[in-house]
Parts: sequence; structure tokens; C-alpha cells
Amino acid sequence: MLEQQLVNGLTLGLIYALIAVGYTMVYGVIELINFAHGEVYMFGAFLCMTFLTVFGAPLIVAVLLAMACCAIMGVLLDVVAYRPLRNAPRLAALITAIGMSIFLQNLAMIIWGSRPLPFVKEALPAFFKVTALSFGEVNISWMQMTIYIVAVSLMILLNLVITKTRTGTAMRALAQNRVCASLMGISVNRVIAFTFALGSGLGAMAGIMVSMFYNTMYPTMGYNAGVKAFAAAVLGGIGSVPGAMFGGVVLGIAETLGAGYVSSPYRDGVAYAIMILVIILRPSGLLGRAVTEKA
Amino acid sequence: MRGVTALLGPLKYLLLAAALAYPLTPVSDVYVLHVLVLVMVYMVLAMGLNIMPGFCGLLDLGYVGFYGIGAYTAGLLTLTYDLSFWVIVPLAVVNGALWGVILGAPTLRLVGDYFAIVTFGFSELVVLFLTNEIWLTRGPLGLPGIAPVSLDLSWLSTLFNPEWDWKYVFSGETPYYYLGFLMVAVIYAVMRRVEDSRLGRAWLAIREDPMAAASAGVNLFEYKIIAFAVSSGIGALAGAFFARWTLFLSPDMFKFWESFLVLCMVVLGGLGNIRGSLIGAAVLISLGEVLRVVLPGLGLPAETRFLVYGLIMVLIMRFRPGGFFTAVAESTMSGPLIMDLRRRLAARKTG
Amino acid sequence: MEPILRVDGVSKKFGGLMALSDVSFEVARGRILGLIGPNGAGKTTMFNCVAGLYKPTEGAIVFRPGDRDQDVQGVKPEKMTALGVARTFQNIRLFSSLTVLDNVRIGRHCRTSSNFFGAVLRTRSQRAEERRIIDDAMEWLDFVGLGSFALQSAASLSYGDQRRLEIARALATDPKLLLLDEPAAGMNPKETESLVDLIYAILEKDVTVVLIEHDMKLVMRICEHLVVLDHGVKIAEGAPAAIRENPDVIEAYLGKGAAHA
Repeated sequence: MLEQQLVNGLTLGLIYALIAVGYTMVYGVIELINFAHGEVYMFGAFLCMTFLTVFGAPLIVAVLLAMACCAIMGVLLDVVAYRPLRNAPRLAALITAIGMSIFLQNLAMIIWGSRPLPFVKEALPAFFKVTALSFGEVNISWMQMTIYIVAVSLMILLNLVITKTRTGTAMRALAQNRVCASLMGISVNRVIAFTFALGSGLGAMAGIMVSMFYNTMYPTMGYNAGVKAFAAAVLGGIGSVPGAMFGGVVLGIAETLGAGYVSSPYRDGVAYAIMILVIILRPSGLLGRAVTEKA
Repeated sequence: MRGVTALLGPLKYLLLAAALAYPLTPVSDVYVLHVLVLVMVYMVLAMGLNIMPGFCGLLDLGYVGFYGIGAYTAGLLTLTYDLSFWVIVPLAVVNGALWGVILGAPTLRLVGDYFAIVTFGFSELVVLFLTNEIWLTRGPLGLPGIAPVSLDLSWLSTLFNPEWDWKYVFSGETPYYYLGFLMVAVIYAVMRRVEDSRLGRAWLAIREDPMAAASAGVNLFEYKIIAFAVSSGIGALAGAFFARWTLFLSPDMFKFWESFLVLCMVVLGGLGNIRGSLIGAAVLISLGEVLRVVLPGLGLPAETRFLVYGLIMVLIMRFRPGGFFTAVAESTMSGPLIMDLRRRLAARKTG
Repeated sequence: MEPILRVDGVSKKFGGLMALSDVSFEVARGRILGLIGPNGAGKTTMFNCVAGLYKPTEGAIVFRPGDRDQDVQGVKPEKMTALGVARTFQNIRLFSSLTVLDNVRIGRHCRTSSNFFGAVLRTRSQRAEERRIIDDAMEWLDFVGLGSFALQSAASLSYGDQRRLEIARALATDPKLLLLDEPAAGMNPKETESLVDLIYAILEKDVTVVLIEHDMKLVMRICEHLVVLDHGVKIAEGAPAAIRENPDVIEAYLGKGAAHA
């Protein structure tokens, strides 16, 4: 039983990790909690489903198209809503983020209705149902296996982008000191837009995987998952990408174990409690750096 | 905008008199009265929240948590012990303030966004608690049948005539309208007095520059805790009133949306501007009601109003990030001691 | 007479950086001490340690406002202010959107006591205290020459006046020791002259002054004793005339080979 919980927790955790990196990257470059990120994750699921049903596209095409659309959506979010407020009081940017989140949630409700919708089972390849790995009483289906492989690959890819490419380095420079970075010739706006695109694409993939795995999607799913992924980012240290990945996995496992062994109705509470405890006891998170103010 | 308020001058007393007389006039409408009472509840919430970002520069994203604590404290005490509203109010306020202290003690030393995140998490936990602890709160089924406010002055009436029994149970909107008026007036007066006092100045110093405030002698932690306790106490007060007015409570009345809405009211009115909070509350609640009526007329479901709300907030932040009114600590410029000083300074120039 | 402040072997480490290294000196009561040195020498860090913003990694700081020694290393800033140590900042830190008067009234915070209930109920003692606060604040504003600006916004003052306002706010806390961090920075000669008069007037109020300054003419003129820091270490101490000729000091400011310039 425990092993099954761990396996499920890992699946959930990897999904949280994919969402969490989006939050942490954006916070790293512009110090904004992108409340609307959860809605991008939600749109990923719905758009993928729409491409499958309305346009009859094959699964891989639908997935990639949905990711691309969400990446664009993320960039639009920055350009239209956040960029004009780059120098405005921080509270204004925060309210804008929440406002966009509410707008997108309700937009989805208008387009697709507020009832949960199932994923398009027929589009899934047959082998997804087949058991890939089996040990003890635990079964890992090929669907779960695919989720692991895709999620981990994406995170490795993200790490490569951040550490090895010029834009990735520019992102890290921006996160440390925006003024200096722009003085070094880095096009701040472009790098920020790229950050949004990257985070949104990954978030969209997370949404697609969740809707596939749990066979359901609903317009408010972004809110729930978003808060928890944010908690994961805080756990790992807000601003740290490896931290977000680590935090996501830890949170996913903690939540699943908590729901299984301690209390099921409070499963969402696990994330909040972890978030509060981490902030009180170790605000820089497990992998983050502490910051002090100069007199 | 300051010119507008100056223009209002004596006109505002006329408006005040009209507002007080309104329920008694033949043109009064139950629906309008209901909305006005709702506005009053939010006015109190906005004034209470304003203490945190407006006076102290601390972002509180979980204000609805204290609103909910106040409401459920009032509701449960009424249902279980049938206590009078007038006894419950101080109990609810103290409970709210107590939770403010409990939450604030470990978290108010944190910088900036961390405090905001913790308050958000706390309010979500409050909702979870209210939803899941069914033995206490009946969870999603809610608490119906809360007794309305009643005024029992029989002890007074018997002084005049032993057969008189002055007991009045609130019914309809009108008595709540006047009670709400009183509540808003009291909190407004409290806020104005605090603003122009050693406490208010200490808070403003913390907002402007915490390091300089500490060097000037202000104990940051102590004053932040006081701010949080007062703020949460006021939120709980609004909750207690709300419980004894709507006579029904359920956990989904206390979601994050409410925190966001009140925050928007505070920002719209100008951070630290007490009068602005009143206006922000009136504007956003009226907007909601207008949308509720107008949108179905355009063929859209009434729920679309949240979408419009979100869009409007984004637009307002885009063009007026500082709100509509400048945050001038008005009472510090108009109290009698300051007016006296003004005269002395003017005399110096001429003398 | 016992010194009002004794810094004893104070070191301050930030991660890998040793900002202060075993610094010791005394501040004589009622005098002006100058803390000088090139940029990055650790002067403001020293101020921050004395004022309570930083806790020294090693060493002791002893404050003696009256007739008893008090160990104050690590005591919080607001407590240090209450004990009698006030300071100004290198980059002026005013409460800009508040009035000039309010800035100074906040300085009276630690010498007054009314609380939430006093404020709300407007008790007689609270009202009397508020009257006293305004009177005291106006007294300090007049002392620094800003009385007529009392009800203007602090941000509307000229740069030189803003520095004076910061000093007025510090004085309003009734200090025994006043730490001024580059008070003459950005001032023209006329403003610097008024600053000198102000500092002498402060001395007459029985307040000891420690000054961080780069304006050497000012320093040599008004400081009775100098402590020189470089890279966190005390390299010289003494009367201005001696310090001016000290080769280590000259080298620190002007580099090697400048000692005979």
C-alpha cells in the first residue's frame, strides 16, 4: 500500500514540479507571484482536449499545439498585463495578476461550461492501459511511465536551457540584478517574455498530463493546483528552479501520504501547512538563498 | 480629487442627513436597502484591512479568514447559547484579534511577500476547517437559523412603567441599516483618532521606512502585532454583524475572492486613506450589483460579472495604480492642535 | 571623566567578508569624534553595530550615558534609541510622504507612551501628551532652523534641509550620543558652514557627537579626535594635526607613494 502511495505521490509531485518551475522562474526575474499561472495550466488541458475533439488532431500534435498556445498566452499575459506595470507599485501588479487569474477562470467557464469534463479516452494510445512495471502489489501503467519520462525529460531540458543557453544565462543574470543585466546589453523585456513562455509551456504540459491521468478537467482546477505548486516553489526556495522541482516532488508525496494515512478531507491543507511552516522556520526554503538588506 | 472633496463641504452634511432619512421615506426600496447594508459591511472590512497595507505597508492576502472567524464565532455562540448580539460582538472581536496575534507572532518578522503568502495560506486553512469540522460547523450544509439582532431594554422600560416591555427584534432591512450606519461611524471615528496619534504615526513610519522607524525608537514587531490585532478584530466585527444579518452562514461565503475584493476596495480608495476605503467599498459593491442586473440583459449569465470584475481591476491598475485618491493622512492635517499650529506659524510670518 | 562609549575589539563578518576587524576606541563625553577612512573602510558598519542594526561577530560595545556601564552589543535599534543613542543615515532616510512635523514627532516616540486605548478614547493624559509632542517637535525644528516648514511634506524640502530634518528627528529622541553619517555630503560651502554651527549648538545641549565625513576641511576643523579605519581595521587614532601627517593614513587615502606628496 505504501509503495502504491509513493508511486502516486511521485506522479502528482512531478506534475506539481512542472507547474512550480513556472512560478519560481517568473518570481526570480520580476519578483511577481504570477497568480494567473494556474489558469495557463488549466487552459493547457482544455485546449488539448479541444484540439483533439474539434479538430480531430492526433494526440502528439494536440499536445504540442496546446503547449505552444499556452506559451503564447503566457507571453501575452506579460506583455499586456504585467509589463506596463513594471515600475508601478508592487501591489498594483499583484492585483493585476489576481484580476487576470479571475478573468481567465471565468473565460474558461464561459467557453467550456463550469462542469468537469472528461479527457478524450479514445485519443489515448492503447498501450497506456498496459502495466509497464509491477513489483509487489504496485502497478505502474504505461501512462504513468510516460508521465515520468516526459516530466523528467522536460525538467532536464529546462535545466540545460537555463544553464547552457545564452538566454538562460540572461535569465539568471536578470534574477540577480535587473539594472546591471540591462546595462550589460541584455534585452530585459525579451528575456522576461521568454521566461513566461517557458514556464507556461511546462505548465500546459502539466495540465494535459493531469487531465489525462485523472480523466477530468474543470475551470477552477488551476486555482487548486496553482496554490499547491506555489507552495512547492516556496518549499524549495522561491526563485530556485531545482528547488521548485524538488519541492514539487516532496509536496506531491507528502500530500498523497497525508491524504492516505492522516486525513483525506484536509489533503489540500497539507500544502498550506507546509507553506506556512517553511516560511516561518526557513523562509529561504530548502534550496534557496537568504537575502539581507543593506543599511 | 482633493478639490472634489473640498467642494463637498457643507453638502456632505446634507447627504448624510438624506442617507439617514432614506429608509423612512416612501421611496425606499428593500433591495436598495439590502445593498446599502452590504456596502456598510464592506466599508468596515475595507477600513480594517487598510490598516495593514495602508498604514503599515504589510500586505495581508487572507483578510477573509478573520471575517469568517468573526462570523462563525457569532453564529455558533448565537445558536448554542442564544447570547445577545451585544455580548457576542466583543467576544467575536476578541477572538479575531487573538487569532491575529497567534498568526502574527511567528510571521510578522518576515519581509514583504512572505507575510502575504502566510496570511493567504491561513485563510485557506480557515475555510478548510469550516468545511470539514462538520461536528462544529455543519460543514457545507452551513448554519441556518441564526437569530437576528435584538434590543432588550425591558430593564429600562420597567423603570418608567412595570408593564412596559421594550424588546425589539430586528426584522427587515431598516434596523440593520441604522445598526450598520452606527458600526461604520464608530469604526471610522476610531480609525481617524488612531491615525492622528502616536500609534498611527508609528504605523506610518513603519510603512515609509522600517529601518528609520526602528532607529527613531519604534519597536517594529510590537507595532505590527498591534496593527494585525486591530485589523483582524475589525474584520471579525464585520463578520459578527454579517452573521446576525444574513442569519445563515456557509464556508463558501469566505473564500479568497472576498479577500481580493476588499483589497481592491482599499487600493482603489488609496492606501492609508480612510475615506477612500468607504468610497472603494461603495463603488465595488455597487458595480457588482449593476453587473448582476446588466449582464443578463446582454445575454450573458450573471456569473460573468466575476470576469468583468477581474477585467475592470486589471484596467484600473493599468491606469491608476495608486488608486483614485492620494493617500494623505488627512486627520493629521486637520486636528485642532494642528490648526492651532498653523495659526502660530502664519503669525510668525507676518509678525 | 569616563568615556560615553567604548568599542572593544569589535569584529563584524558578513559571509566571507570581514567588514570590521578587532576595532577598539573610546568616545570622550561631550566631544566631537571623527570616524574617517576611504570608502568601504567599515565606518557605516561600525555605526550600525553601535546603533544596534548589526550584532558584532566578536567584541563588546559599552555605553555609559550616566554613571553605569551597559553592554549594548546586539541590543536592537529601538532599544538603543531609548537608551540614548541616535543616528542619521548615509542615504537620507526620511518618511517622505509625511509632513516635516510628523517626521520629528515620530522621533518623540520612545519618550512618550500613549497607546491604542489612549488614542481612541482621547483621554486627558493622551491629549496633554499630544500637545507636548507638538511643542517638543517644534522646538527641535526651530533649533535646526526648519520651524516654518513644519506642515510641508518632507519630500518638498531641499536636500540640505532634508539632512537637517533627519538630524532634528534624531535629536527629538533626546539622545546622549549622536551618530552623524556623512551629514555634509552634497552640501555647498554655505550649507556646510550652517552645519558646523548646528553641530556646535548640539554639543552645547550636552550631546556627544560622532561624525563620519569625507569633507576633510570640515573634519579637521571641528573634530577634536579622529579614528581612522581602512578595510575594516583601525590604522590610526589621534588629534587631527597628527592624523594629517600620518603616513599610513595618507597611503590609505591616496595610495602608495603619496605619503611624501
